[in-house]
Amino acid sequence: MKPLGNQIARWTRMASWLALTPLLHGAPAVQDASARWALQPVVRPALPLVQAPPGWTGNPVDAFVSARLHEAGLSPSPTADRGTLVRRVTFDLTGLPPSPEETDAFERDRRPDAYERLVDRLLASPRHGERWARHWLDVVRFTESQGFEYDRLRDNAWPYRDYVVRSFNADKPYDLFMREQIAGDVLEPVTADGIIATSLLVCGAWDQAGNSQANTTQRAITREEEMEDLVSVVGQTFLGLTINCARCHDHKFDPVPSTDYYRVKAVFDGVRHGERPVEGAEEAKVREAARSQARADLAEAQAAIARIEAEGAVAAAAKLPAGTRPPGPAALARWTFGADTTQVSDGKLEGGAVVAGGRLLLPAAGAFLRSSPLDRDLREKTLEAWVALADLDQRGGAAISVETADGSMFDAIVFGERRPRRWMAGSEGHVRTQDLDVPDEQAGPAAMVHLAAVYSADDRIALYRDGVPYGAPYKPSGGLRTFKAGDARVALGRRHQGGGSPWLTGAIGRAALYDRALSADEVAASFRAEGASITQDMILAGLDPARRRAREDAMSRAKTARAAIASSAKPVMTAYAGKREQPAPTKALKRGDVKSPGEIVAPSALSAVAALPADLGLAPDAPEAGRRIGFAAWLADPRNPLPARVMVNRVWQAHLGQGLVTTPSDLGASGARPSHPELLDRLASDFVAGGWSLKALHRIIVTSAAYRQSSASRPEAAAKDADDTLLWRFPPRRLEAEAVRDSMLAVSGDLNLQLGGPSFRPFTTSEYGAMFYHLFDKGDAENNRRTVYRMNIHSGKEPLLDAFDCPDPSVKTPRRGITTTPLQALGLMNSSFVQRQAGGLAERSRRLARGDLSRAVGVAYRLALGRAATPAEQALAVAAAQERGLANVCWVLLNSTEFVYVR
Amino acid sequence: MSAERLHRPPDLGAMSPLLSRRHFLSAGANGIGSVALAWLLSREQARAGIPAPAPASSRPPRFAPKAKRVVQIFCCGGVSHIETFDHKPELVRMDGRSLEGKGENLGFFGQPGKLMKSVYEFRQHGRSGSWVSSLLPNLARCADDLCFIHSMTAKSNNHTPATFQMNSGFTLNGFPCMGAWLSYGLGTENENLPAFVVLPDPRGLPAGGSINWTSGFLPANHQGVPFRTRSGDPIADLRTPASVTAEARAADLGMLAAMDRGFAEANAGDAGFAARLRSYELAARMQSSIPEATGLDGETETTKRLYGIDDPATKGFGRNCLMARRLLERGVRFVQVINGGAFGSPRINWDGHENLKENHDTQAATMDRPVAALIQDLKQRGLLEDTLFVWSTEFGRSPATQGIGSPGRDHHPSAFTCFLAGAGVKPGHHHGSSDEIGYFAAEDKVTVPDFHATILHLLGIDHEKLTFYHNGINRRLTDVHGEVVRGILS
Repeated sequence: MKPLGNQIARWTRMASWLALTPLLHGAPAVQDASARWALQPVVRPALPLVQAPPGWTGNPVDAFVSARLHEAGLSPSPTADRGTLVRRVTFDLTGLPPSPEETDAFERDRRPDAYERLVDRLLASPRHGERWARHWLDVVRFTESQGFEYDRLRDNAWPYRDYVVRSFNADKPYDLFMREQIAGDVLEPVTADGIIATSLLVCGAWDQAGNSQANTTQRAITREEEMEDLVSVVGQTFLGLTINCARCHDHKFDPVPSTDYYRVKAVFDGVRHGERPVEGAEEAKVREAARSQARADLAEAQAAIARIEAEGAVAAAAKLPAGTRPPGPAALARWTFGADTTQVSDGKLEGGAVVAGGRLLLPAAGAFLRSSPLDRDLREKTLEAWVALADLDQRGGAAISVETADGSMFDAIVFGERRPRRWMAGSEGHVRTQDLDVPDEQAGPAAMVHLAAVYSADDRIALYRDGVPYGAPYKPSGGLRTFKAGDARVALGRRHQGGGSPWLTGAIGRAALYDRALSADEVAASFRAEGASITQDMILAGLDPARRRAREDAMSRAKTARAAIASSAKPVMTAYAGKREQPAPTKALKRGDVKSPGEIVAPSALSAVAALPADLGLAPDAPEAGRRIGFAAWLADPRNPLPARVMVNRVWQAHLGQGLVTTPSDLGASGARPSHPELLDRLASDFVAGGWSLKALHRIIVTSAAYRQSSASRPEAAAKDADDTLLWRFPPRRLEAEAVRDSMLAVSGDLNLQLGGPSFRPFTTSEYGAMFYHLFDKGDAENNRRTVYRMNIHSGKEPLLDAFDCPDPSVKTPRRGITTTPLQALGLMNSSFVQRQAGGLAERSRRLARGDLSRAVGVAYRLALGRAATPAEQALAVAAAQERGLANVCWVLLNSTEFVYVR
Repeated sequence: MSAERLHRPPDLGAMSPLLSRRHFLSAGANGIGSVALAWLLSREQARAGIPAPAPASSRPPRFAPKAKRVVQIFCCGGVSHIETFDHKPELVRMDGRSLEGKGENLGFFGQPGKLMKSVYEFRQHGRSGSWVSSLLPNLARCADDLCFIHSMTAKSNNHTPATFQMNSGFTLNGFPCMGAWLSYGLGTENENLPAFVVLPDPRGLPAGGSINWTSGFLPANHQGVPFRTRSGDPIADLRTPASVTAEARAADLGMLAAMDRGFAEANAGDAGFAARLRSYELAARMQSSIPEATGLDGETETTKRLYGIDDPATKGFGRNCLMARRLLERGVRFVQVINGGAFGSPRINWDGHENLKENHDTQAATMDRPVAALIQDLKQRGLLEDTLFVWSTEFGRSPATQGIGSPGRDHHPSAFTCFLAGAGVKPGHHHGSSDEIGYFAAEDKVTVPDFHATILHLLGIDHEKLTFYHNGINRRLTDVHGEVVRGILS
């Protein structure tokens, strides 16, 4: 850190300079200058000179809070009793209740710094990161399913959740935490954590159907919506600014011109949804080297096999009657057809397909041949077919297709789908498809056309017609996909299941599938061979023993190489951290309309923050990575006044129920004004100066006398400040959904404290076009983990958590609602989960009391409420337990207001 | 309590009474044991089949409303306007010709074929002479009660965004649905039932499931409550577990109420604690009011027949329509009845890509009779006078086929038909029109925000004033758009 005094002096100068600067270009006039308070530099305020109440000295929080109370003629409340305090701060910092032993220990600890020691212990607990991660995940709209129509699971979104937990537990400096989430995948040195961190950009809902539809305008709109989600999560989370409001027009209240929206959008325009491998640069190098070696080995082995088999084929051909054409390359699977339906090499005829005269006849829609499942994984490959088209105007059928069992992925040689009379390499959502510059198909129904689609290991796709290239080869942006052994099948005559009009009508003469990319020469040879009937057996018979051994050696080398390729295909971990591409220069859209592109804009930061240059020195076509690196540096620059103010306020809110600013993701003009502006700036300034330590910030807040006040209401104070804005007491509040569930598990003794890893899934799934989730309630260890580890899916929300205001995962939620509803009560009354925890608590209490019912009642009170039962309660509860059972008493405790509230 | 303060926008509370509205539950705490008493009473009522009392805690709307409640039939998948209510003689003439002069193709699959005339015959019905196709003979008989809008347009050609728009005004996840807005804006007429109930098609949930009835950023108590319509209890955790006897539960609830009351008294001044007591009382009442409202035992055979419960084709959806009437009678503010489910195979919704006739024949067979019955039944009971009936779908279908030679139609957002009926709308009326082939909305175009603004208007709400502050914006159901469609108001 630079010496603080100098910085302050500089900021102060800047502030006075700012006041003279005319309003920013294009920004709407803001009537009220105080509306722009958050954009002013943070100047560390001096402590107010007020006679502080006893015990309210030494902590800057108390100085500012007591000054405001004094001004309003209010007095603070006395310190809460120790039992209340330990429960309060334990919930706040860890989301769990203290154990009776922890409560006892604190109550007995008479050292002057007993409370500070308690706070330090809680901050050091791994539970702290879990608790505070959930607050953060609300803000950044973290989800583990896609939302929208399909709502498919994101199996690999959880690494981001763990990253947040880890970061909070390690007290990662907040400036680094911010930079990693913006550009961790490109900031040197690239680390696994840095890559995972950028999941923030894409961890919201994603419209998969909208991204794959045919209409380009609608696709563009879908992308714009996606980008608004991204820009708004960055703006709201870190800056407390609703930049997204400027997508269609200049911001109505804040100095954010519409151009600025598009400049920030340009920073992130290369970010796309999806999974990516997670590994540091060094690991990646080693793995890539191993992979290319294995690929070379495989190529060598395959070439050897091909050479040997070609020799065998020549030998076999020599034995054929004179005049037979030379044979083509050997295939993984080949389909030939005999005289009638009994003569099919492999597969099942469906929907009226028949075999006659050496052909597979596909007379009408619905007819096709389905193969048995593949016996090996298939990535690079060649599809081949000899086909006669019944009608050149037919659209969308395929000669040959390889497709996963659920129809979600396929590669096919498709006729006339996107353009009439043209062949193309079809694929799901056209993700590996390109229209080719080729002449229209002319072959009449009598002619057999030979087609081949070659998918190479380097992701190149090449088509051939009658042995010569058909259009230019290309590389689809997403690369090739792997079809899994045991799952994928080949279809002849159908593009893919469930498609609009997937049927080819006509006939297939022969077809073949190769598990490698044929060379152009091999395709030509195959075309010339017309699938000459040299079988694998004939080839093998043509080999002498030495060649046979050599072939077997090569096959064994190929197998090893394939395994090495597979194992080095992906890093150990994958995360839904998004993909990157170099975007085209970004155009500002007039009124946000994709059909009204305006000027090209350069990636930049926000002009509203006058203390820093918004110009990042980037051209409109600047490389993708540099854009985010530049923005991250701007964001985390200590001169940027917003991030520290925003984060201090979020932490304050989580400790005291409401922020110093009650609209934590909007510190702009339409947000609230700070209740204690100097306190906010003092904390923000110390936060930055102290190295952005969140734990230091927690410590200063929760050790303040203001935080330690009793929560009892006082009519005379409530009359003046009903909302407790000035903090004349600690505001009591209801536990969040997660804390309710976790506490029940904690007191029943069933909580599984396993830290991190893939989420637990208390549901089964079914797919009917969309993904559906069927919840179950199970009390095994896996499902008894903390709620932050529950798979956070859109359409499978848990009724009890839902009733306790768990937010919709797609909503950026800086502050949760707190409602009290009959559905909540029904859940607590009747859900099997609560019944089980009540039973567990009873069981545990009885065990701890060694079977003595009266003592067990006492234990249950201590476990559930963190206090002893009063004599009257004890008597009533013992009678109830004798009459109806201890579990019923425990049910009452878990349903009680006292259990679900923190005072 | 902080609960009371939540989400109130800074400096705006005074501008809109709706924003400073009270909590769903009023703060009044009843005496000791009231929870247990309510629960015991509700059990008695459940046995006797008496509806639970309905304390009014609804908030007055901003101006005199025509409608007090809404029932919305939502048909998933995109119902073809050309095959139902939008008669296009010109399309008959142009059958088989190429689609020309309409600009960029709007379809989802982008394979326009040739123009195709309606696969059903159209005839005029009733005194209004409304054109309705032979697909919907029962609804055709209701034509004089219906108020059609033939010039609807949607923002998206993609099911889910378009469905989200029809539900929430936005094409994205996470915006509050219309029912949630009404619960927020108008409260409830019967605290013993949820204000916003969703009745999914027994054949399956729509794509996205619960995303379709989210309260978004509104407080969770405004969320739609989906009743299970296939089997089991209408909602989760409604029933006291079998292992707990009635006597024990009553005693436990008494003990809980005493404890919570003690806590509330010891912490006087915190309304939230009293609200918890009341929530248990209401929960106990719901344990009988929900089964009572959803049970059809008290309905006559004639009524059941009217809704088609005697016919396997209409049984499931017919039950839902009848249940909707019972919920409306009991003061539920917004009932959404969904016809159709997700986009799997075989199709269980109106998404007729492959073969329009085959698809619509199947879907209409489930929908036509029960929906006509609901309209007729609401009318004969006088409920239609203060109930707004809404029939909608996410978009229409293209006048051209999807691919040459195909008998199917692709999605079509630029013109489609919805209809309203009942409180405050003109009966037997036709508003707006599509062009000669049903491609673009031609006259009096109505957007989804216009549609929503009109519904809110009929309920006495100015759509520009029903707002909720969220992350920098005072959000509305109608975003920054929406004009009340005055032409349909009676």
